[in-house]
Amino acid sequence: MDRQAICITNILDDYALLSPLRYRNNYLKIGIVTFGLLMGVSSTSPITPILIALSMFLATVLFGAIPVRFYLKLLSAPAVFVLLSVVVIAFFFGTGGELFGFDILGYRFSINTGGLNMALLVLARTLSGMTCLFFLALTTPMVELFSVLKTMKLPDSFIEISMMMYRYIFVFLEVAWSIRYAQNVRLGYRDWWTSLRSLAMLCTTLFLRSWEQGEKIFVSMSSRCYDGKLVFFEERRPIRINEMMLTCLYVAAITLVWYSTRDFVFV
Amino acid sequence: MIMAILETKDLKYSYPDGTTAIRGMDIEIMRGKKTAFVGRNGSGKSTLFMLLNGTIKPKDGRILFNGKQLGYDRKSLRDIRKNVGIVFQNSDDQIFAPTVYQDVAFGPTNLGYSKEKVREKVTETLEYFGLTDLKDKPPHHLSGGQKKRVAIAGIVSMQPQVIILDEPLANLDPVGADELLDVLNALNDSGTTLIISTHDVDLAHNWADHLYFMAKGKVIGEGTPDKVFNDPELIREAHLKSPITLDIYHEIERRGLAKPNQHPTSVPELVDTLKPPELMWVEVPTETLEGDVLNLGVLHGEYALQSPYEAVNARVLHMHSDGRAVVEVVRHGIKAGGIAIYDIEQYDPDGFQRIMETEEIAMIGAMGKQSKMLAEEYHIPIQISSGVIDRTLLMALCGKRCLILTSGGMISHSMKRIDEYAQRSGIAINVSIVNHD
Repeated sequence: MDRQAICITNILDDYALLSPLRYRNNYLKIGIVTFGLLMGVSSTSPITPILIALSMFLATVLFGAIPVRFYLKLLSAPAVFVLLSVVVIAFFFGTGGELFGFDILGYRFSINTGGLNMALLVLARTLSGMTCLFFLALTTPMVELFSVLKTMKLPDSFIEISMMMYRYIFVFLEVAWSIRYAQNVRLGYRDWWTSLRSLAMLCTTLFLRSWEQGEKIFVSMSSRCYDGKLVFFEERRPIRINEMMLTCLYVAAITLVWYSTRDFVFV
Repeated sequence: MIMAILETKDLKYSYPDGTTAIRGMDIEIMRGKKTAFVGRNGSGKSTLFMLLNGTIKPKDGRILFNGKQLGYDRKSLRDIRKNVGIVFQNSDDQIFAPTVYQDVAFGPTNLGYSKEKVREKVTETLEYFGLTDLKDKPPHHLSGGQKKRVAIAGIVSMQPQVIILDEPLANLDPVGADELLDVLNALNDSGTTLIISTHDVDLAHNWADHLYFMAKGKVIGEGTPDKVFNDPELIREAHLKSPITLDIYHEIERRGLAKPNQHPTSVPELVDTLKPPELMWVEVPTETLEGDVLNLGVLHGEYALQSPYEAVNARVLHMHSDGRAVVEVVRHGIKAGGIAIYDIEQYDPDGFQRIMETEEIAMIGAMGKQSKMLAEEYHIPIQISSGVIDRTLLMALCGKRCLILTSGGMISHSMKRIDEYAQRSGIAINVSIVNHD
């Protein structure tokens, strides 16, 4: 089986499951991330978002024990996209004195101060947002979030269905990969048309399998006295004093930077 | 107390599409025994199992649990499902929760236990199955053997009287299969009635107390392993083959190298049949009669063939006129090797070292996941990690002393197996728990 491919598809959750920060209080993590997101987006200077991005990156890599290489690889995909957009913003937005420019076919392309400031702000905000979300995604696996959903008073059936979906995503992923492999070794993806046909067959089979699986689970669950109710057990993970203090310090520091740099202009 | 815990009377079932799966079955499952249903795929084993815990309702016939007919109202169903647990063949059909802990907690929660009781039950069960370290893992991070153990733990946490396992060893590697059998034996030893289905004849032959051969939705033969597996016609009809120990035994017996009319179900038992009568001329007192048993005393050194010291008896087969007789020699090892059982729940490194020295242990075997984990933690060299009882018995027969690391129900199970062997073979094997007061 194509183990490599499976690893790439569920790697985020895998890293989160193994991260030491997984066993810290979920609400604290969510709180810090929400705070980071709000501060980053509302900041009018690029300094606060960059500070947040840096701190989130360090927290994920150092405390969360996520390999730097993997983190950068993960970041590189959206980063390339952001950089391209930022270049466009720098050239086409904003007013002010021209900083840099050239002519193409008689048309003037230039960056002015307003455009550059806006581009930097967008870059910083996007980076801070991404690192915040990566922090959450890489330290809090799905299995931890279910209990959070429960306390957020979401309907039980919604949570139960998502729990089962989460569980069987991986079962069907494995089925899908083995079917794809079986098709591949018999040249099922030789050209565009055969690929399309094979893919259709794969989807049909998966649909039928999941239907069957549903019935099997129901049988096995009722044989364990299932009566239509799942109960969760939230692991108690009290917030420790030092965690709380560190968080307060962080919040205070970021707020201070946010307030003092509100009128800061780069150029 | 009724001996049969589960009974069916003329049980019939056909699927909604009209296919008949069970055509009139009468079975009796004995309390505390290990029963195996053997038959090829599609012979109706899985359907029978779902009938036995009320998951599906028979078209005709009755099912009795503890002598009481099974009802199909809510309360009776709940009762039967609590007491008769099914472990499905494919663990992924059964484990649905996102973590191991939550899956094992599913059953006890459904039984309406309080939160504390559920937690206590689950913790205890996870500990018993050596799964404590895996409790927060999602099932897709587990190996096949681990998933199987989680599936069984999910049933055991409900404390059923009967556990039914559909093809429990399918898709497990040999050592994983062996560990699972240890767990099952320990459960059985603590009083749980076990039912399995299999088409592995060696497993059925060696493991089960009672067997049912099934074909096309019917029982075509039943009885103890030595009874059903000595019926070649029945084996053919069930589309099975003879177990390997029996095959080997029959071949060596045909060549006159083994005692006739034996029924070895394991390798030590097979070895035990390898004793052609040993004949010898000896001088006997004149009043001796043919058929008498003489005590020839204790032999050692090169005269003792199987263990360092042997008590040798001789049965007189033929008297000769000059005061000599032909006798059949029967040797009993006095100090055949021994088996020391070490309870790992009371492990202490110094005491263990002392035992290793004073008991002159030649080999160490580990039985059960916890023992293996302990051995790894304390760097205890393990020579035997699968088929532990059989292989330590074989070592003991060669005069060596072995130590088995194990715990809980597996201790009494091992003691029982070794004693049984000693009684049947007549070879005294010294077995003791070395770290109990």
